[in-house]
Amino acid sequence: MLSAQERAQVAQVWDLIAGHEAAFGAELLLRLFTVYPSTKTYFPHLGSCADKAQLLSHGRRMLEAVGVAVQHLDNLRAALRPLADLHAQVLRVDPSNFPLLIQCFQVVLASHLQDEFTVEMQAAWDKFLTGVAVVLTEKYR
Amino acid sequence: MVHFSAEEKAAITSLWGKVNVEDAGGEALGRLLVVYPWTQRFFDNFGNLSSASAIMGNPKVKAHGKKVLTSFGDAVKNMDNLKGTFAKLSELHCDKLHVDPENFRLLGNVLVCVLAHHFGKEFTPQVQAAYQKVVAGVANALAHKYH
Repeated sequence: MLSAQERAQVAQVWDLIAGHEAAFGAELLLRLFTVYPSTKTYFPHLGSCADKAQLLSHGRRMLEAVGVAVQHLDNLRAALRPLADLHAQVLRVDPSNFPLLIQCFQVVLASHLQDEFTVEMQAAWDKFLTGVAVVLTEKYR
Repeated sequence: MVHFSAEEKAAITSLWGKVNVEDAGGEALGRLLVVYPWTQRFFDNFGNLSSASAIMGNPKVKAHGKKVLTSFGDAVKNMDNLKGTFAKLSELHCDKLHVDPENFRLLGNVLVCVLAHHFGKEFTPQVQAAYQKVVAGVANALAHKYH
């Protein structure tokens, strides 16, 4: 699915995120909830107004999962099987929400990394995250 | 009809005042064509679109991007009447250009990324929310006259 060049771009993006999973993850969630308030319905445990610690904690977990995906570009299905099961059986996040998360991810990267986040990196990252979303939702039915 | 609060209008207008429409337009259209290559289907006569750098440097892409974003500027001036503002353009995109309205949503999202890229931390979640709202409004307005 991803060409060799795209995999290199994905790895490049991850290098800029690694070590900052909590901060990026928290901002990702904050943007998601601010821009698309209906997404908060999937996070009732984060309260009606999630506090910083909760965002950092959950954000870090989500970004760490992204990191796992980056390390297993050759076999996303196997690497993400537990998460795919979780989304299919428990979370059941409507698939239409994944593009919203992806958009917010791009905005986080663009606003933080600015010129370091090239158009090629944006294209590869978008393709990669879309692939992850497909894997996470393909057991839904 | 979408309604913008005073705060949203202020955030949108103040940021827009600092946008270089020519540069941002070319950047947004270019990124659309790179990140979502199937959108190139509308631009067969634009010449070299064979690579990311070819697209981003293509003078027709830049010129058309500027045209598109200048038109988007009308949205910023008419947030209370997006449907009226874009009625004619909606008819054009349906009847003559045959553009799937999903492309307006894609371009709107790419434009938001370009603004985030340009403005960095100034592009707060609240500013992003306001801009996502206006690009969604424009996309809907452009789709409104489709039949």
